[in-house]
Amino acid sequence: MQLARVIGTVVATVKSPGLEGVKLLVIEPLDRHLVPVGNQIVAADAVHMAGPGELVYFVAAREAAQAMPDPFVPVDHAIVGIVDAVEALAGDGPGGSVPGDVPTGAPSERRSRRRS
Amino acid sequence: MKLARVVGTVVSTINAPDFDGRTLLVCDLLDPSGAPSGGYLIAVDSVGAGAGETVLILDEGNSARQVLAAPGAPIRTVVVGIVDAVTGEEPAADL
Repeated sequence: MQLARVIGTVVATVKSPGLEGVKLLVIEPLDRHLVPVGNQIVAADAVHMAGPGELVYFVAAREAAQAMPDPFVPVDHAIVGIVDAVEALAGDGPGGSVPGDVPTGAPSERRSRRRS
Repeated sequence: MKLARVVGTVVSTINAPDFDGRTLLVCDLLDPSGAPSGGYLIAVDSVGAGAGETVLILDEGNSARQVLAAPGAPIRTVVVGIVDAVTGEEPAADL
């Protein structure tokens, strides 16, 4: 699994059977310092609560489809959690800590802060 | 399997149900000499690994679900061991 930031949504009317009702989001993979790395990808939202701006973690490959209600769907990346905080553990070397801008409040707090 | 060092945790309250009660560790991938090789993975802990420890990571879904006894879980990456030493032709890793 890897960290990512949700940066957009995808609307598709014509979809493969099984993808009806699946929310598709554009995500930007991040390194552990929350710096974007690699290409943006479209991921299914398995937690039904992720939205643009949110820090999430996603799973790739066959396991992505396992996160959906019906595990036999054509999904190869799925958001499986919304990140409250990334905590550097004691003993992490210099440069190992994550930037201080990681949201740490309760989910409801974070949501309202983002909207304002 | 991959060698990695535990550098942090991910805290998450809204997640897929299979992640409830599981610890997510941020792990920097290492080369055999113990130096970070660039990437990282978020892995589910199954051995009680802690800060700074060198660990063995399994990155394959079927085995991961077997280790966690969680059939059907969307989990692919699991910490399955804590490494004491790596030896080889390279200079011995100081873990």
